[in-house]
Amino acid sequence: MSSELGARKVFFREAIARAVHEAMSADPRVILLGQDVGAFGGAYKEFQGLYEAFGPARVRDTPVAEAAMVGIGAGAAAAGYRPLVSITYMDFLVLGLDALVNYAAKARFKTAGRLTAPVVVKTTSGAHGQGVAHSQCLESWLMSVAGLTVVAPATAADAYGLMLSALDHDGPIVFVDHKRLYPTTGEVPLDPTPTPIGKAAVRRHGRDATITAHGYMVRVALEAAARLEEAGIDCEVIDLRTLTPLDLSTIAESVDRTRALVTLEEGQTPCGVGTEVAFRVQRMVGAIRVARVGAMPAPVSSNPVLEAAVVPDAARVLRAVHRMLDA
Amino acid sequence: MTPLAMLRAMKRIRAVEAALAARPDHGFQLFSSGEEAVAVGVCAALKPGDQLLASGRAIGPALARGVAPRLVMAELLGRVAGPNRGKGGRGHMALPGAGFFGAHAVVAGNIAIAAGVALAAQLDGERAVVVCIFGDGACGAGALHETMNIAALWRLPLLFVCDNNGFSISTPREAALAPRRLSDLARPFGIPAATVDGMDSEAVRDQAIAFVRHARAGKGPAFLECLSERFESHSTATRETRSAEAMAAARARCPIDRAIARLRLDEAAVARMDAAVAAEVAAAIAFAEASPLPDPAEALGDVV
Repeated sequence: MSSELGARKVFFREAIARAVHEAMSADPRVILLGQDVGAFGGAYKEFQGLYEAFGPARVRDTPVAEAAMVGIGAGAAAAGYRPLVSITYMDFLVLGLDALVNYAAKARFKTAGRLTAPVVVKTTSGAHGQGVAHSQCLESWLMSVAGLTVVAPATAADAYGLMLSALDHDGPIVFVDHKRLYPTTGEVPLDPTPTPIGKAAVRRHGRDATITAHGYMVRVALEAAARLEEAGIDCEVIDLRTLTPLDLSTIAESVDRTRALVTLEEGQTPCGVGTEVAFRVQRMVGAIRVARVGAMPAPVSSNPVLEAAVVPDAARVLRAVHRMLDA
Repeated sequence: MTPLAMLRAMKRIRAVEAALAARPDHGFQLFSSGEEAVAVGVCAALKPGDQLLASGRAIGPALARGVAPRLVMAELLGRVAGPNRGKGGRGHMALPGAGFFGAHAVVAGNIAIAAGVALAAQLDGERAVVVCIFGDGACGAGALHETMNIAALWRLPLLFVCDNNGFSISTPREAALAPRRLSDLARPFGIPAATVDGMDSEAVRDQAIAFVRHARAGKGPAFLECLSERFESHSTATRETRSAEAMAAARARCPIDRAIARLRLDEAAVARMDAAVAAEVAAAIAFAEASPLPDPAEALGDVV
């Protein structure tokens, strides 16, 4: 797909803006709500150009009011629109969870299909020097809510492709990206190329162990895999891309060969993404060697020394793989 | 809507709830008894394309908006003939095609949803109006204040209706909310607001008509506080905390009795109306009873 002629290298933020632009052009029901999404163009310029292209009726700056923002998005979705609600940081999504968890995720079920709430909540997770209430990765909370879909791109192509799919999806969906992905670039196909929801991607092939990750941690996993190769250990890296529903068959196919699994996430490990992946994959492939890597059990400080001490890095993945394979 | 039609609508609510209360299989319910004039008066101001959203105390609002008693009965008794196949049930019924966008049993949880429906109506450009009925208990919640601010800024065609029955379960409104009048909550946002006697269906209707006209004209939201009385405990599963004297005083303000007196109906006319309503309710019960409960497999349907 990313042949030199058929793709263009863009920043992560540009990939998002392009997807939203295309979706808004194709479907007048797509609207954008959020703090600083208008003329300002979004906290990371990920909505740049949309206000100019589509105007204030469809690209709406909101006050700092996450409960109402998500609620209005869910209500407009139930009434036939396809709102994209931008919640700047995932920590603040906590303020908007009522409408997402109690209304949007239940609307289809409780009305027996008379209503659905195809609202896309886009939010940015992860540590990047901003401290205890601006750094969290809470995506595993959302994975335990029946009725929600959760996606988390790691590349510009998937930021584009998953946003396209999310805005075309018939139920509520949370699009979780990561602060450290915004300075990154990647090839994005010139043709409209949605990333299918529920499909993981194998980012590196290997024989000795499988590492699963999502979002920015995919890059950390690939860095760890490159260093492990120097030690003669050949790791497969799977980018989950969708957290609900998990693409268990792709993961199980890999783990069935390697018989060793390291789950990597930036959030907490208890009841985490990796715990869910490991349990369900083991049920499919039987007993394997398994380890999980995530944040240390502490808040994430804005102090760079303390942040680095808590958030997983390639060195910790390396140690986990060695410990698992040496055991 | 004529006062006579409003009386019949109120009687229908009272009778449906009485029939439901008499059944051992209703689970538990939140009754609108005593608060019928609020829902009926507000719905008298609405047109077919408008939408009503309600709190968990939704039997009155659903019936007032025109959801048929047989559908309400089937839904609340968990039968598949209900508009939501019995999956929504108490506090979550919805029939958007009839203008009842739905109940939502999280206190204050439907207010921002209603604003979203109002935003959709505004974008559609069809001059529809959205109404959200919530209790006084919702007035302390941040979601109301966040939503009033945005609704005022965006001039959403949204009528906030506070059905102030004076209690959040057991907590008196005076112990929970600082403002003298709950309609005062809307004034800082520049939202027109009024407080009316919620036991007077005509007073509710007249103010609702004025506010709905304001919203339909594109002038933005309005806030209507209706002072009502809850004739039963919070729910059929909740113990009553008020004294017998307080309950008697509340019931003495019955909106149905007041409408009958104002209409000067004689006993025979009332008896005829009661008989007609009783027949509707009996048919509703028969309709619900004829419908099965859902197959357990439906628990996994319509999830994603």
